[in-house]
Amino acid sequence: MNRTFSIISATLLTFFIFSCEKELSINEAGNLVPKTVEQDSSIPSIKVNSTQLHAETFGSPTDPMLVILHGGPGSDYRYLLNCKAFADQGYYVVFYDQRGSGLSKRHTKNTYSIQIMLDDLSGVIAHYKTSVTQKVFLLGHSWGAMLATAYINAYPKAINGAILAEPGGFIWQDVLDYVGRSRSFRFTSETLNDATYLDQFITGKQDEQAILDYKFSLMASADESAESSLGNDGPLSFWRSGAVIQEALFEVGNKEKPDWTNNLKSYTTLVLFIYSERNKSYGLTYAQKISSAYPNVQLEKINGAGHDMLSFPTGWNNFYPIALNYLNTL
Amino acid sequence: MKIITKLIIFSVFITTNLSYAQTLNWANLQKEQRHIASLAIGLDYSLTLSVGYGYQLKTNFPIVVGAEYAMPSGKNLGDDFKTKVGGQVRWFRVGDFRFSTKVQGIFRRYENNYVRLNNFGADFSGVIGYYKPKWFLAGEVGFDKAIVTHFKHTEAMKENFAAKDGWYNPATGGNFYYGLQSGFSWRSHDLILKAGKIITQDFRTTPLLPFYAQIGYNLKIK
Repeated sequence: MNRTFSIISATLLTFFIFSCEKELSINEAGNLVPKTVEQDSSIPSIKVNSTQLHAETFGSPTDPMLVILHGGPGSDYRYLLNCKAFADQGYYVVFYDQRGSGLSKRHTKNTYSIQIMLDDLSGVIAHYKTSVTQKVFLLGHSWGAMLATAYINAYPKAINGAILAEPGGFIWQDVLDYVGRSRSFRFTSETLNDATYLDQFITGKQDEQAILDYKFSLMASADESAESSLGNDGPLSFWRSGAVIQEALFEVGNKEKPDWTNNLKSYTTLVLFIYSERNKSYGLTYAQKISSAYPNVQLEKINGAGHDMLSFPTGWNNFYPIALNYLNTL
Repeated sequence: MKIITKLIIFSVFITTNLSYAQTLNWANLQKEQRHIASLAIGLDYSLTLSVGYGYQLKTNFPIVVGAEYAMPSGKNLGDDFKTKVGGQVRWFRVGDFRFSTKVQGIFRRYENNYVRLNNFGADFSGVIGYYKPKWFLAGEVGFDKAIVTHFKHTEAMKENFAAKDGWYNPATGGNFYYGLQSGFSWRSHDLILKAGKIITQDFRTTPLLPFYAQIGYNLKIK
């Protein structure tokens, strides 16, 4: 009896001692996710279109502008920083985290729309453009390539060329099909378990964006899984995911079923369209189908890489000369 | 962590030894059947396999206490799991209708490439149903609360952001659930089926796997 009492007492004492550390708030930026430009003035930012975007530039402001558009929606530009290399080759490279993503300002869910994303891009270009004759190129990866196409479809005369890396699709049904293929996991897989099992540990309301962003970041590990069809090399670098904008834009897509191809025939400039060797959800046939919306396409396969082809050495080394040569010819 | 929270957790988890997730046919459970072993497979935020043990107390109205261990599927078996310690009480019966409640203390773990989460939580639910010796049909409503969670991040996460390790509160999560449970009983055996829907505590969103389902077997031993 005395022994039992001693064990219980020791357990109780240990429990109370170890639980005396100061508890942290799950929804406070800086704990589980970094602060945004709104909360930390030391982060480089610009104010355009009634929002505040985390943004940086590299190269001479008078050089042709190359705007980098990250994927997601809800990722950030950290995984695309290899693209800084274009600055050494005479390009003014502009990075920004899209509204509601990365370290940029968060907004309420009902304010997000495709048009506001296009307006933000117009605002970024106008903010950094130093002359009316300065050329503007877009480089978009995944969702960023979809955004670039939506922009070109809306404002074809504003863009002097584009590099598109594995956009999900330009018509909503294509997007749904691609997302379905690329996010398909075995029901008993570790990847699917990691995504679904988390829901009993962390839940957040729609205004608790720090919680939701953190949770979304944890689920990003699905893309780097060996069970994923994307063929990625490993985990992509990120600052902070944007959970609400991701959900919001997907809902907008489901509701509006956008078609960003109806004006592309008027865009006769050569477009560089790239796809990766290892992304089993993409491949040549799908790349040909999606890129055919443009009348003038240079289609290239990036060997030795998956969907994250711009972020790891093999993919980047195979991509960079092709991209640089394309830009230099325009 | 506040003392009151500690006391609640510890009370739920250790002292009160309340509920247990075994689904029971109260009309078939005999007083002398003290031990109940169970095995179940189902969907509970993942494809899970669970084993459990229950003990029926010698009381005027049925009380079953016990423990359960549930493990989800996946390549890394054992990195995620859920344990429950608790009990359920059948409070009253009117004819063949019976009402019971359960309270469970939960300890569960989640691990992926970025973080390991250790959570203390609690699950409260009520079940009302029509029970016959050979079958039953009941409805259940419950709430699963992740009360306090310890976060321990991996180097992979810290390369992206130095997320702070430690205990986090207020409660990091909570989900309501509701559904039906049914079963067939013969001699000392129960075959149990249950299924239902899960909704997060803000009543506006649902988990990625927004439903639960389970098929289970109970063996009752004197």
